[in-house]
Amino acid sequence: MNQAYRADVRPMVRVRGLSKIYERGGEQLKVLSGLDLDLAEGTFEALMGPSGSGKSTLLNIIAGLDRPSAGSVEVKGEDISHLSEGALAAWRSRTLGFIFQSYNLMPVLTALENVELPLLLTSLGGAERRKRAETALRIVGLEQRMGHYPRQLSGGQEQRVAIARAIVNDPAIIVADEPTGDLDRQSADDILTLLEKLASEMNKTILMVTHDPVAAERAKVRHRLDKGALIT
Amino acid sequence: MIPFRYNIRSLLARKATTAATALGIALVVFVLATVLMASAGIDKTLGSSGRADNAVVLRKGSDAELNSNIDAASVGLILAAPGAKLNDKGAPVGVGEVVVVLALEKIGDPGFTNVLLRGVPDDALAFRSGARVTSGRSPKPGSDEALIGKRLQGRFKGFQVGQSFELRKNRQVSVVGIFEDDGSSFESEVWADIDTVRSGLGREGLVSSVRVRLESASKFEAFKGSVESDKNLGFEVMREPEFLEKQASGLRIFVTALGGVLAVFASVGAMIGAMITMYGSIASRQREIGTLRALGFPRWQILLAFMLECALLSVCGGTVGALAATGLRFGSFSMVNFTSWSEMVFTFQPTISVIATSLIAALAMGILGGFLPAIRAARVSPIQAMR
Repeated sequence: MNQAYRADVRPMVRVRGLSKIYERGGEQLKVLSGLDLDLAEGTFEALMGPSGSGKSTLLNIIAGLDRPSAGSVEVKGEDISHLSEGALAAWRSRTLGFIFQSYNLMPVLTALENVELPLLLTSLGGAERRKRAETALRIVGLEQRMGHYPRQLSGGQEQRVAIARAIVNDPAIIVADEPTGDLDRQSADDILTLLEKLASEMNKTILMVTHDPVAAERAKVRHRLDKGALIT
Repeated sequence: MIPFRYNIRSLLARKATTAATALGIALVVFVLATVLMASAGIDKTLGSSGRADNAVVLRKGSDAELNSNIDAASVGLILAAPGAKLNDKGAPVGVGEVVVVLALEKIGDPGFTNVLLRGVPDDALAFRSGARVTSGRSPKPGSDEALIGKRLQGRFKGFQVGQSFELRKNRQVSVVGIFEDDGSSFESEVWADIDTVRSGLGREGLVSSVRVRLESASKFEAFKGSVESDKNLGFEVMREPEFLEKQASGLRIFVTALGGVLAVFASVGAMIGAMITMYGSIASRQREIGTLRALGFPRWQILLAFMLECALLSVCGGTVGALAATGLRFGSFSMVNFTSWSEMVFTFQPTISVIATSLIAALAMGILGGFLPAIRAARVSPIQAMR
């Protein structure tokens, strides 16, 4: 099912008239132009497109890492386009989970400590933080690797730790930037299965940017972006 | 908050650069602590022999005993002034002493070095409560015998018990004992009988100073008023601690200024070193920092974490430097005292205040050196996490 937005499901993310223009050397570079998009709650959606099509920019704006030049982004009914930088950081910490192509784990922290990181921004005590981090690692099947450092894990295991970190604070939305880009086919398949489960069993809204058509096939909804506009 | 262990382990993960930077800071703190310990050593040596109930009388206008001449006949007048303490026999407690400089051959150092020779009366040891002969014996009154201060022992030719040195050509003085005085400046002096010194060096009928024990410290003003009132005699009276402070100040200022300039230049170098290390570290951790920002850590927490990291690095280096410097407490250093132009021997004093100042300086270096890199870290965009 490919569609930009649907009227029958309450959207978790609602993007309207989104434009992003960069200025370089006095020239204006239009990356996104008047884009509309809805992401339904509890769905696993993929965003595809060629390099330079604007998919990373769109992901960054929806994740509150970048700001639109025009238009609005509403998440759970809250317009985030006008939040201050500090408010946006706080919003990210309670609403979003991130999964990166290169996992982005802190190399000097153990798997458990990496997963615990987002909880350090909450008021939870140490014991509760540890308990939740252990639960998240159990969900991704790494309860035996809690004390391991990233360098002691395989790529697939590192990405599973990153997924545990993304879900530990129970966010509404998970944004994943090429989450299988650095993995072999089997590990990629495991990660995609995990993402499917997070959407179907834990009702997470997942937006995944990918080049890989096989990975995109696993998403429930696929969006295609070209030259800053959604084409499907 | 970003966990402190993240910073500790990040430093440990970059062992070579961390060790090199910490070593640089350790060297600076070593220099700083050494200067402070030397300054504290000068204070202890020149300041520890003062008693508040002792008054020192010099010729007016003289900065030091060396250039003060008082007629020996005036000693009785001075001791008779109101406020001077009397002993059990009703005699005033005080000593008139002659201070001169001898040029002697230093062992292991070519040429001659000045040594302070004090001509003392029989009761000089008794007058100073801390002074005692630790080896050998006291000189016989009126003899050509001398005591060597503990710190000079063995540093000059003839400065051992049983040896002798030349008071002047063809006049030998035998060393019969070594004395201590609780680490005071007297330990860098040679003491001989006052008449031996006077006759040997042409100082007959003169003393350099008179030290007087007062009934109490509060009697000082009365004593001073009485002694200084006769303008014809031209005396100047000081409390002993004040006098010793004046003797120490020139040397202390010299050591502190020289060491301070060295320490400031070295500190700037160490701060730049710490800054370069932190800039390098931050440049290679852009993605980590971007990830922390993406996860929601605010800028001020990033700033604080990196400043703490640099401060930790500096304090570790500083601790090593300060500990290494405390090893110098077993050694000593000699300098020419500008007021007596004679060699004095000092020990390094690793006081709590010296250690605390050194560590605070290390911390300051870390905070100042880490500030700009930490600002750069706090400015890393969360989008860096996506690159």
